[in-house]
Amino acid sequence: MKRLNPILARVNKMPRAALITIGLFIALGTFAPWLAPQDPSAQNLLEAGGGPSAAHWLGTDHLGRDTFSRLIIAANTSLVSVGSVLGIAMTIGIAMGTIAGYHRGWVDDLLMRVVDVGLSIPSLIIALAVIGIVGPGYWTMVLALALAWWPMSGRISRAVAVSIMSNPHIEALRVLGASPWRIYFNHLLPGTIGAVMVYATADAGVAALAVATLSFLGLGIQPPTPEWGQMLVDALPYLESDPRQVLLPGLALTAAVIGFNTLGESIALNRIPKPLTRRMLAARRIEVAGWARENVDA
Amino acid sequence: MTHAPVLKVENLQTRFKSVQRGKYVHAVDDVSLELYPGEIVGLVGESGCGKSTLGRTIVGLEKASGGRVLLDGVDLSGLSGAALRNSRRALQYVFQDPYSSLNERQTVGEALDEALLIGGLRSQHERNRRTKELLDQVGLTHAIKDRHTRELSGGQRQRVAIARSLAVNPRVLICDEPVSALDLSIRAQVMNLFLRLQRELGVACLFIAHDLSLVRQAASRVYVMYLGKIVEHGPSQELYDRPSHPYSQMLLASVPVVDPRVEKLRSAPLMVGEVPSPTSPPSGCRFRTRCPLAFDECARSTPPSYGLSPDHNAACVFAADLYGGKRSALVRQGAG
Repeated sequence: MKRLNPILARVNKMPRAALITIGLFIALGTFAPWLAPQDPSAQNLLEAGGGPSAAHWLGTDHLGRDTFSRLIIAANTSLVSVGSVLGIAMTIGIAMGTIAGYHRGWVDDLLMRVVDVGLSIPSLIIALAVIGIVGPGYWTMVLALALAWWPMSGRISRAVAVSIMSNPHIEALRVLGASPWRIYFNHLLPGTIGAVMVYATADAGVAALAVATLSFLGLGIQPPTPEWGQMLVDALPYLESDPRQVLLPGLALTAAVIGFNTLGESIALNRIPKPLTRRMLAARRIEVAGWARENVDA
Repeated sequence: MTHAPVLKVENLQTRFKSVQRGKYVHAVDDVSLELYPGEIVGLVGESGCGKSTLGRTIVGLEKASGGRVLLDGVDLSGLSGAALRNSRRALQYVFQDPYSSLNERQTVGEALDEALLIGGLRSQHERNRRTKELLDQVGLTHAIKDRHTRELSGGQRQRVAIARSLAVNPRVLICDEPVSALDLSIRAQVMNLFLRLQRELGVACLFIAHDLSLVRQAASRVYVMYLGKIVEHGPSQELYDRPSHPYSQMLLASVPVVDPRVEKLRSAPLMVGEVPSPTSPPSGCRFRTRCPLAFDECARSTPPSYGLSPDHNAACVFAADLYGGKRSALVRQGAG
């Protein structure tokens, strides 16, 4: 508990609404199969387009599927795809960024020009091109988005890596005679991952939106797997008769995106130096008490 | 000085590419110095004169563009890779800023443990014992090893940094203004710590400083640096009593005196002008643009180093006069 306290104190400072939204999103996404009250794909045309009832809390869609269950399962789809996209993109990006930041010189120039090329093409266009070549599908979409996403994290991790490498503590390790492996894996990599993760939180919202966009266009997640963007496009023909079916996935998506953005921003802002803690004051006192001892020695 | 120097720097040069195309900044230009086992040597000069670059080049943080560094007679420029890392380990560096020279993610114990591991101590048990020993040596309590370095005060951090350099059993410690980032009150303690370590462990110490009083207190010999060159070096007492280069004289005269009455009587013209750009240093003697004694000859040729007494040299044509007190750079100019 003692170790948890500082973490809890930091969490407490974050915007509560965003924290709850994202917490809910992650919890729902993780435990979706157990939480969904009904089978999201079970059709019942007799109940199609029905309003909220005891059996279907948020009503049913045009095929009579339970909207509440579909929204929950869609959170799972979204979480897994966003997680995979960012995971793959950041692995590539951090690897390239840290190598560039470690070596500098021509290696840096070469890798960063590759990143520049990647950055200069809008990510959705890259994704569309890849899907156009390979054909739509769940994992095609994940790979296509990861391919479009890594240059950004490559650029950020390179900047972080350069600043870590110019830090005197790395120079101190060099003077101690540390091997390049030790400097790279024990000091540069953990430091870079920590800093880049912060940006990833803000990125998650954009990635969730991209997944929904591709699915909306029919290029991403294919029916019958429930996905917010795809639920939107499914319900579009019934916009006038049953707007609830468009509004609900739209709201869920909006909440997730805004939640990730707000949270990412607050995490980034919380990294400003914190004021003196009681522990630091105690350390100061021990130091002062030590002066007397030192002066007796000298 | 009967024994061989532990560190010998010969004609060392460090240059950086200038912003201006094709030009170079000669941060360290043809510097030679020697360090004997167990002595503290001061290196003083204004900001930007290249003293830190000299220190960094000696430990290999900057690439030398010429000259040699010999450690116990072994030329480090002939080594590379693991062999270089292993030899150079005997040469350690204490950074000016204790706030950035430690990894804030590590605890004190982890930082020292890692240094010991790098130094080749394989047994965990042995490393734990040495960690305690090092903490004792720098006057920190054992309990501090579980604290993160970011929780420590400046003085504590600098002690940890010193302990870390001692972990690899160095023969030479290059201290780059190790106390200038600390509060005045803590400064004296860390200085005392240095003196004690040097006495107990016999580590030779090159002490880079702009605080002349600190160097006077600690060093047995002093090198004075100006614009990338050593202009004067000699035994500390003699150099402080009889500075024999106009620059040393002016540097010493610019130290404020605590007593206001003495302060008022100080005759010095003090330092005038600014340090010229090291991209295009003045011809001949580099100090001539600010020297009250400069005359035509100074622009023509670089003055050689004149021996004044055993181990006291100054690179000025007037060195002998200045040494003998027949001339002074501190007389007000204007009268001729």
